[in-house]
Amino acid sequence: MMTHEQLESIAPLDAIGAAAAEEASAFHAHLVSCASCRRVRDEYEEASTLLARDLDPVAPPPEVRARIFSALDGSGEGGKVVDARDRFQSSRWWTAAAVVFLALWGWRELSVRVGREKDNSREAEIRHMAEENQLLTARNEKLSAEIAALASQDTRTIALTGQQVSPSASARVFLEPQQRRAVVFFYNLPANPAGKSYQLWILRGDQPKPQSAGVFDVTQSGGASISIENLPLATEIKGLAVTLEPKGGVAQPTNTNFFVAGNT
Amino acid sequence: MTAAMNTSFEPSSLLPAVALGDVSAFERLYDRHSSTLYALLLRILANPDDAQEVLQETFVKAWTNAKMFDSVRGSDVAWLISIARSRGIDRLRSRKIRGDREDEAGREVSSSFGFVEKRTGADDAIQSEERLAVRGALAELPEAQRAALALAYFEGLSQSEIAEKLGEPLGTIKTRMQLGMKKLRESLKAFR
Repeated sequence: MMTHEQLESIAPLDAIGAAAAEEASAFHAHLVSCASCRRVRDEYEEASTLLARDLDPVAPPPEVRARIFSALDGSGEGGKVVDARDRFQSSRWWTAAAVVFLALWGWRELSVRVGREKDNSREAEIRHMAEENQLLTARNEKLSAEIAALASQDTRTIALTGQQVSPSASARVFLEPQQRRAVVFFYNLPANPAGKSYQLWILRGDQPKPQSAGVFDVTQSGGASISIENLPLATEIKGLAVTLEPKGGVAQPTNTNFFVAGNT
Repeated sequence: MTAAMNTSFEPSSLLPAVALGDVSAFERLYDRHSSTLYALLLRILANPDDAQEVLQETFVKAWTNAKMFDSVRGSDVAWLISIARSRGIDRLRSRKIRGDREDEAGREVSSSFGFVEKRTGADDAIQSEERLAVRGALAELPEAQRAALALAYFEGLSQSEIAEKLGEPLGTIKTRMQLGMKKLRESLKAFR
């Protein structure tokens, strides 16, 4: 499974349409639940437009403008297109007939196009709703799993206490050893500054270096929660600790200023 | 960054009015951005007929979908460029699938519309302040990064296709594009 950092690194490639299919797929699935990556992706997409804005502008022929606006309003501009054509007609009556025909044909053609665009727009909205539905279903399943983890007879509870930098903070870990997953609730943590994220670390008995268990942000309320899947065996977990790290998290902690910590 | 430069990038969104059916706002939107979009579509498609048709599709889509525009996520011009680029690349790909790809003659047509890579002094004299700022930002990109980004952006190539075309390892191309995009993103922040 890719880390948040790895997924975020796909954003610039995705924004320019150059990500590999499997990368794009994983990234898009991640975007559904990560507002931070959605914002980063939007910024990259806007940045990519600088490549277009660097080109010397070229004015399109006036007929294009006329065609577009006649699609919105059948009068006025559409007439200009037709007037330009009548110079090539030998008979005024034939010209008039041609004008009427072309105007009706052009109007019909563009009306169909506008109608098609509206259909596409409706389809996009339906797709969007279906995606939202999928997201809600996924969240529902996740919540059900979390509730099951909290209610299980095997669930162990571990308390993490506030440390020197945030003595009033605390956290409670609900660890389900059989499923190797946990839900952690944090309380009274200071809101993380812009450009920083909290990162939860697993201190392992079988490895010298801590292992990242996830990155999270804390709002003004001081609360947050995080679900952890694929935990090490319970016997290998020595303790848990939280540090403040650069936004999106890092591979290894950059400091030992623990906000909450505790042994299992 | 000069104050004038900031002014030229100051967002003045017309799309919310367009979403409410304001045709005069839509006309101003067209007059403000159609030349940029047409230049982009000529660059992608190298064919004026195709470029005009996709430009028309882009503005029709902008009219019908304006309510989906979110000014928090970006500017009017960026939204329009994204639509035009996406449709242009779709058209390019479908043309390639049909085996109706434009040949070198088409490229010659495109160069006659003024977007040749090497620009003259006269060209520079008529650059708007915004484009000069954009050009300054892009000038900071190393040529190799810029070339890889251009292949992706204007030709719709994937990273592996770009690696193959340039004869470079995939990892090198990927890193090059990520670095280039990061620099563009930083440049964009400076404009805001």
